[in-house]
Amino acid sequence: MSDSSASFILFQVAGTTYGLPAGCVQQMEMLEGVTPVPNAAPFVDGVVFSRGQVVPAVNMRVRFGFERAAYDPKTRLVVVSTSGRSVGLIVDAAREFVSIAAEAIQPPPPAMAALSGKYLASIAALGERLVMILDVNELLNFDDNTLPAPAEA
Amino acid sequence: MARGFISTPLYRGPEHHADPSGPWQCCCVADFFAQFSPNKTESVSPSESAEPNPALPAYLDDFFAECDEHLTSARQSLLALEPVSHQPEVDRTMLEELFRDFHSIKGLAAMVGLKPAEQLAHQMESYLGALRQGRVPFSSPGFAALADGVRSLEQVIGAHRAQAAPVDLGSVGASLDALLPLVGTVDDKAGSSAIGSSAGGSIVAAADELNAEQQARVTSAIEHGETAWWVTFMPSAELAERDINVNTVRKNLKSLGELIFSAPQVLAGGQIAFRFLLTTAAEETAFAGWQRDGLSYAPYAAPAPSVPTPAASAVSRAAVSASAAKTVAPTNVVRVGLGRLDELMRMVGDLVITRAKFEENLKQLEAQLPATQWRTLQENNGAFERQIRDLREGIMRTRLVPIREAFMRMQFVLRDFTSDPQSRVRLQLSGEETEVDKLIVERIMDPLLHLVRNAVSHGIEPTAERVAAGKPPAGLIALRARTNGQTVLIEVEDDGRGIDAQQILARAEKLGLIEAADRAETTNILSILCEPGFSTRETVDRTSGRGVGMDVVKNAIEELGGSLSLWTEVGRGTRFTVQLPLTLSIADALVFEVGDQTFALPQSFVQEVFQFEATAVALLESNEIVYRRGVALPLLRLASLFGLASRPSATSYALIVGDAQDAIGLVVDRLLGLREIVIHPLDDPLVRVQGIAGATELGNGRIVLILDALSAVRGLGNRLSGPTSKAAESARGRLQAATSGVSHRHE
Repeated sequence: MSDSSASFILFQVAGTTYGLPAGCVQQMEMLEGVTPVPNAAPFVDGVVFSRGQVVPAVNMRVRFGFERAAYDPKTRLVVVSTSGRSVGLIVDAAREFVSIAAEAIQPPPPAMAALSGKYLASIAALGERLVMILDVNELLNFDDNTLPAPAEA
Repeated sequence: MARGFISTPLYRGPEHHADPSGPWQCCCVADFFAQFSPNKTESVSPSESAEPNPALPAYLDDFFAECDEHLTSARQSLLALEPVSHQPEVDRTMLEELFRDFHSIKGLAAMVGLKPAEQLAHQMESYLGALRQGRVPFSSPGFAALADGVRSLEQVIGAHRAQAAPVDLGSVGASLDALLPLVGTVDDKAGSSAIGSSAGGSIVAAADELNAEQQARVTSAIEHGETAWWVTFMPSAELAERDINVNTVRKNLKSLGELIFSAPQVLAGGQIAFRFLLTTAAEETAFAGWQRDGLSYAPYAAPAPSVPTPAASAVSRAAVSASAAKTVAPTNVVRVGLGRLDELMRMVGDLVITRAKFEENLKQLEAQLPATQWRTLQENNGAFERQIRDLREGIMRTRLVPIREAFMRMQFVLRDFTSDPQSRVRLQLSGEETEVDKLIVERIMDPLLHLVRNAVSHGIEPTAERVAAGKPPAGLIALRARTNGQTVLIEVEDDGRGIDAQQILARAEKLGLIEAADRAETTNILSILCEPGFSTRETVDRTSGRGVGMDVVKNAIEELGGSLSLWTEVGRGTRFTVQLPLTLSIADALVFEVGDQTFALPQSFVQEVFQFEATAVALLESNEIVYRRGVALPLLRLASLFGLASRPSATSYALIVGDAQDAIGLVVDRLLGLREIVIHPLDDPLVRVQGIAGATELGNGRIVLILDALSAVRGLGNRLSGPTSKAAESARGRLQAATSGVSHRHE
């Protein structure tokens, strides 16, 4: 990674393009075989087996407060890994790996209060498009009040 | 999960080894011994645990194997260090390696009571600690001392192995101590003056103690080809008798060169030392012999590096290569971190999935390929599958370690007890070589300790009583282990007084745990003993003992998927049998469906699979019950526990978990069969839910959740007793009461 640009994996959730630093993305794969985990949080679709690992799969639509959508052939699992923990993110689509110049990346506007605002690290302009760069650690921090109390067993 | 090491882990690298900053601070002797106490609550004093135990030859083999390993590694590090030994700054990772080796040797030596080796290793460790922190510069004498130290350690340990007379370590320890700085040594108490001459505990000062003028004088002397040395004199009565005191020393030093700096200093132990900084044109050999006169010396380091002394370095090279040549017998043991094995297991898991996909592809090709070609492919696929299974099995086997480690701890506990001459006990081990999963060995330690301790304090009678009963005066506790198919049996048997069922029952009745009408056969004794409320602590008579902690023992064993059983006969003795699965990472499991989801439950948890008709289910309040051999069996429908849509059918299956009267039937929709599964922990907080213990995959890349039978049972307990319930055990107790009520009503 040079000083002037950084690599990102881009993915789409409900029409918005998000970016994650490439370094924290373990892999991207087609979504197959999600096993539901009873009584887990609503945004946890279940667990998947990815490269010999059992990984929880978080539905990003639900996590960001959108309507759940049925999986389709474009649905992808983006496995991110930070501080020894791996979590799979179920996103509508993901296929781009881009380098973004440092000057194209800006801090999020203070007034930004969208659903993903809390997880937003910065905003990048990529040609015509705006990319929301996410903060991985915030994203995987589920100990906040967005985590509903587990259903009564 | 991935902690710990496979092989014969006599001295398990303490947790802080994982932390690179740890070992340097944690070499205090008390901390150190704390690691060897048999468990957290009970500590064995160093002197006790340090006693050599000739009764443990196998144990000693492990000790030698481990020592060899560390000595070999230390020799390698030293060889790598030698070329740079004249540089005051050396690569830290090399020092760290060495430090760890000596730290481990120290621990090992402490365990087998090899005091000289322990102390020497400790001194080497201290010196390396100081080096690593930059408190002293590295030097040729330092290197020589390390090389000598390694050789001496080898001799001491070798002599111990050959059961020869202890080796005289001479001045090795002292020369190491002389290299150490006075202040800031964490643990000088244990190390200094322990070995060899009286010249221990000396000082090397940092150059910044000198004022500018003194600095300049040293620098100029070095520039003129002289060498500079920190010299420490430790006066003693013995030296004074030989007319050696600080004044004679000063005079002698002045005869060699110039004294730049001198100061007295009080050592940690209250002893006085004198420090001098000497610049001299003389060779090191001119004062090398002064050590027996209470002098020690170290090269002055900063700002200019000291000149290497060719003599010392030549000697040490000879020493190192000589010792490297006669490397002690190889041990054929490789230590592998559990994490690596887990990694291998994951890779095999990938292989399994790839093969399953391959098989799918193959099936699709069947129609298009000539039969002979297809059959060949199919055969290869079959071979592929078998080989993967063998590979998986092979990796699983590498996780197995002898149960010896657990048994050895019992020796320590017993020694603790038997220091009381009133209760002399012999421990008889058999089957220590029985192999169990590393993780199980670790987790079974505490339950076994409980059982052994109970046997000693409650089972074995006082000597007089034993003699009167015609028994040998010393009690006997037998610890046995053996493999039985996919399980391991561990027995703890004593030849003591046995457990009086009537007394236990009476006590239980008094505590309100059972009703008089329920006084049943002796097989129930165990479940009474394991009731959390059951304790005989109140009754001082030891005959009815055994209560304390048995519930903890039972729970720990059940959490490992094991079971506990009891045999006892009054006057003859008691035997607890622990049955455990061989490994935690692979298990034979029942695979079944609930709704449209597949689950697995390790077979070791399932007592029985019970088939029943839907019409046979009776309702007690909101709880379903079915009769099995005349006994009411509470049912837990997994579909409702997990919120899944169940398919109604006339015939259902219940997996019976829990034993005897605690049994509960887990209702499933369809049984798919028995499979060998690889257990993956499900430890991410997002998916840690009640009733699920882990996950596995059955070869198609799809995860199957593994049921946590115990927590499922607790879940049922909570339901029955409402949200106020705090302990599943008490809930189960109430459950029993409820079910027995039903059976009365039906009668």
